Formats: sequence, C-alpha cells, structure tokens
Amino acid sequence: MKVLVVEDEVGLAESIAAHLTKDGFITETVFSYEAAVEKINLYTYDCVVVDINLPDGIGFDIVETLKNLKASSGIIIISARNALEDKIKSLDIGSDDYLTKPFHLSELNARVKSLLRRRHFGGSNEIAFQEIKVNYIARKVFVNNTEVALSKKEYDLLLYFMSNIDVALTKSAMAEHLWGDNIDSADSFDMLYSHIKNLRKKLTDKGSKDYIQSIYGIGYKFAKS
Amino acid sequence: MKLFDRTNFYYIVFSVVIYILVGVSFYLVVERVIYQEVEDRLKVERRDFENFIGVHGVWDESCYFVENKIELTPLNDTLQQFAAFKDTLLYNRYNNEYVPFREYSFARTVNGVPHKVSIRKSLIESKKLLKSITGIMMVVLSLGLLILFIFQRRIARRIWAPFYDTLTRARSFDLNEGKGLSLTKEQIFEFNELNSVLNKVTDKIARDYTSLKEFTENASHEIQTPLALINSRVEELIQQRNFSDEQMRWIQDIYQSALRLSKLHQALLLLSKIEHGQFFESETMDLGRLIEQKLEEFEEIFNHKALRVSVTLTEPFTVQMSPVLADVLITNLLNNAVKHNVQGGEINIVVSAAGVALSNTGASLTTNPERLFERFKKQNQTSASLGLGLAIVKKICDSYHLTINYGVNQNLHTLQLGRSQVL
Repeated sequence: MKVLVVEDEVGLAESIAAHLTKDGFITETVFSYEAAVEKINLYTYDCVVVDINLPDGIGFDIVETLKNLKASSGIIIISARNALEDKIKSLDIGSDDYLTKPFHLSELNARVKSLLRRRHFGGSNEIAFQEIKVNYIARKVFVNNTEVALSKKEYDLLLYFMSNIDVALTKSAMAEHLWGDNIDSADSFDMLYSHIKNLRKKLTDKGSKDYIQSIYGIGYKFAKS
Repeated sequence: MKLFDRTNFYYIVFSVVIYILVGVSFYLVVERVIYQEVEDRLKVERRDFENFIGVHGVWDESCYFVENKIELTPLNDTLQQFAAFKDTLLYNRYNNEYVPFREYSFARTVNGVPHKVSIRKSLIESKKLLKSITGIMMVVLSLGLLILFIFQRRIARRIWAPFYDTLTRARSFDLNEGKGLSLTKEQIFEFNELNSVLNKVTDKIARDYTSLKEFTENASHEIQTPLALINSRVEELIQQRNFSDEQMRWIQDIYQSALRLSKLHQALLLLSKIEHGQFFESETMDLGRLIEQKLEEFEEIFNHKALRVSVTLTEPFTVQMSPVLADVLITNLLNNAVKHNVQGGEINIVVSAAGVALSNTGASLTTNPERLFERFKKQNQTSASLGLGLAIVKKICDSYHLTINYGVNQNLHTLQLGRSQVL
C-alpha cells in the first residue's frame, strides 16, 4: 500500500510518514505543490494525504490533477482551516475525507485504513487480528468464529483499535474518535472507560485473549503482548 | 419628508407671504396715490369755489352736477376755521346704489353767514382703476410665481439626481463583494466630495474587512499548524516505551495543553467570526426539531450521567439563521446543561412559539449570574472547560436578535431563549 503525504510543515510530514510506515504502508513525503504534482504524474498511490495550504499552491488543485489523471487514489484533505465551506468543497471536488489540524495521528491512520477498505471493495471484507475477525461490511465481530454482539460504540472502538495495532492511543484521541469534539472531556473519559471495560469483557467472554492494555496516564494500546 | 418637498414647502410658504405683502402694499400705495390726486383736485375746486364766492358773493348750486357736488350747510355757532378730508357714501339715484365719494369740508362765510362747505368727488372710477390694476398685477405675479416654482422643481430634481443615485448605490453596498462603491465623478463640487469621501470610506471598510477575514484564516492556519506538529510529535513520543511514569505524565500534560490550546483557539476564532458576521448563509431553522435531533447524539451521555430528560414541544420556534450557528447554539446549550448537571439530575426543555427554555439541575452558581455570558467565566476556574460555551451562545443570540436570560429556582437553572422586542 503506497501513501503520498503532501504537507509543507516538514516535521508534521515526517511524523505522519513515520506513523503510517510503522503500520506497514510505503510512505513518501513531499513538501510542495510542484513536487506533489510531479509525483502523482509519475507514480500511482493508493492514498494521498494533502494539506490545503501549500507555499506554492493549493491542495485542491492536487485533487483536481488526480481526478484529471483518473487516478484511483483515495484522497484525504488535511487543513488548519475549520471552515465548513472548505470541508464541503473538498468533498465536492472528489476528496474522500477531511481532517482538521491538529489531528491525532491514530485518527489519520484509522481514516486512511477505512478509506482503503472502502476502495478495495472487491477483495476481502474482513480484517483479522489473532482470533478476532471483523466483517466491516456486515459490521459483525467474531472471536474464534463465534459472533460477539457489540454495541455501536464498542464496534467503533474495536475497529479503531484494530486500525492502530501496537500503537499507544491517547484517551483524547479515542474520545474524539467516538464522540467528536463536542462532548466535555471529563465525561467522555468516563464513558470511554466503561466502553473499554465492556468491550474487554465481551471479547474475553467469547474466549479471546485480552489485547487491550492500559498505559498509565496516557490511554490504551491494542497489542499481542 | 423628502428634500424636494421640504424645500418646496418653505419656498411656497415664503412666496405666498411675499405675494400677500406685495399685493397689500401695492394696493395701499396706489390707493394713497389716487387719494392724493383726488384731494389735489378737491383743493383746486375749493379755490374755484372761493373765487366764485369772491366774484358773486352767493353760491348757485345749479351750476354743479352730481359728480362734483358742492353742498353748503349753515353753521349755528361762530365761524371756526377748519378743513378736513373724509370718505363718504352718497346715494346715486340712477343706479340705486351707494357710491364712494371723497369729501373735502371747510368753513366759509357765505352771504355773511358761516357755512360748512363740502366739496365731493366720486371715487368710483379711481376705485375701479385701483381694483383692475391690483388684479392684473396679482395675476401676473402669481403666474410668475407658478412658473418659477415649476422651474425650480425641475432644476432641483436634475441637480439632486446624482445624490439620489449615490444614495441608492450606498444602500446596496455589500461587504461581501470585497470592494468599495466606486462612485463616478460628478460635476457639482459637493456631490463630487460626497462621492469621493464615500468611495474612500467604503474602500477602506471593504479592505479592512477582507484583511480581517484573511487574518483570521491565516492566523488559524499559522497557529494550528505548529499545534498539529506538537501533537503529532508527542503522539510519537508516547509510542516509546522507555519513559518513567513521571516523564509520561509530563508528556501527557504537554499533549493535553496543546489540545486545549487548539480548542481554545478554535472557539475564539468562532467567536470573532460571529462577531464579524462571517456566517452569511441563512435558513429557517426550527430550533425545536434541531433539539430533538441533537438529543439523540447526547443520549449516551444522558445515560452515563443518569439524567432524566423531558422535552415539551408545544409550537415550533423558528429562527432565520445560519444552520452552522444554529447547530453550535443548541450543542453548546445542551453541553452546558449536561456539564453543570449532577449525577441522576434532570433536564427539562420547553419549546414554544415564544422561545426555548432549557433548565437543568445543578449546584448553585459560584460566579455572578450577570457575568455568566462573559468569556472565560467558569463555574470552576480550574476545570478543563474552556469557559467559552455560553459566550458563544450569547454572541450567536446577539447577532440574530435573540435574547438569552438566566434564572434560577431552587437549584433548577434555566436558560431562556427568546426573541428580542426591538427588531
């Protein structure tokens, strides 16, 4: 899976690339509009992450170029502008997702994966981790092939975990993923805690090992050991 | 009252007053002149009369006709010299009507007997002359006035046309177009001045507005980007395993603070955008229905805090406003009701045509209720809350002519949203 990151803030581009590479993506980074256009004309990417504000151009134009090339790449726009018009415009011209800066790397990771899942419809519609299998078309979860009944939020949480395996996830990132940023953090952390408790119980009850690890002061991690 | 009407009104009043004054004084002057003339002739006749008396010694009435009648009345007492003019009416036996005469009376001894002599002269011709002269003059004068008036109206309309043009253009001035009025040059100095001043002012407003808008957008970008970098670097740090618990706590603090800063910045940006009226799109929003939709999103947190929520929708409460801001308004109000609620408390929402009343249980306020809607007024100064929720609510209300009031009754806090009286 190849991902192109177009972001002029070098540090941020590096961070994103490092995070995605860790998850098994082949990641390339470019810091300017020119370089991005050159890259997309030469190579094919499964996903392109584009910042709107670039020193020598606007991210929207990269999306247009991709559309003109009839490239099948998924497109995620990242922008510091939280303006509704920008969101609408991005989706109008054919981007698949829009993330407002600052965002959690784990959130971007989950969005990229979700996008790729949607793109490669023909292939497998399951993701698996050890004895846990998730059919994301039917939104069903199986442990050792027995179905586990999860609530909507528990399902979202599990999918988020499985998109970020072996990554330390902060409580803020998880709460924001589940509820957006409208809900007060104190309450959402409490609710997150109870969802994690329930999810853990439901999975282990069906014979799964407990993969959800607590990290002191930070949050959680979904990993083998 | 329009400028035309006002000037015309003064013009007419002034003209009529002048007209009347001129008419009256003309009449008086001409009358004076005529009297002078008649009296001169009466004096001449007195001399004739005296000559006649001097020659003949007696007065023979027969030599005079009606017109210039001379009448002698014997006086009883001794002769006292006097001479006076007066107006009198005499009966005209042919026309059967009274005719005005000017009478000159004086004392004279005729035939050794003192007499009062009255010489009269008819004024009828002179009066007629006076009347027709005055009449003609008045007609000519009023015709002149009328023509002047019409002419003045025409000219005023033509002269003021550029002014009304400017007014129309100024009225349709739209900030969103990002440019001033660019009014054309006029020939009249004052209007030209007005146009150039207006051009300058609107250009400046448009420029300021555009740069302000750009500034808020750029500031947003410039501040959010480093925050994004901090967050992503911290997230990477967190992935490392070789930190002590204490170091992890520091990292967590940095992370939370950066997130908080970013949220704070976004909220302030929203406030300034509302303040500068950067939300243009507007739809008829039924706030009652919006609340019902929002309640679904909040259901989980209601359950979590075991809140009993009751909603009474009697009539729809509709407001013409930006859908984005309506969403922010309702979300902030509900968030506020949840945040300050107690475990197992309640939320009551009543929507009527008059407005929305949202009440929630909660501890009594520690801050001054009057300052509730100010920025950074928090129930608990150390809490993680930004303290901007109600400030944003207030700002949104202000920009759509809505009122928001706080009331409390035995730990049941109510926020009442309504329409402001003056629109």
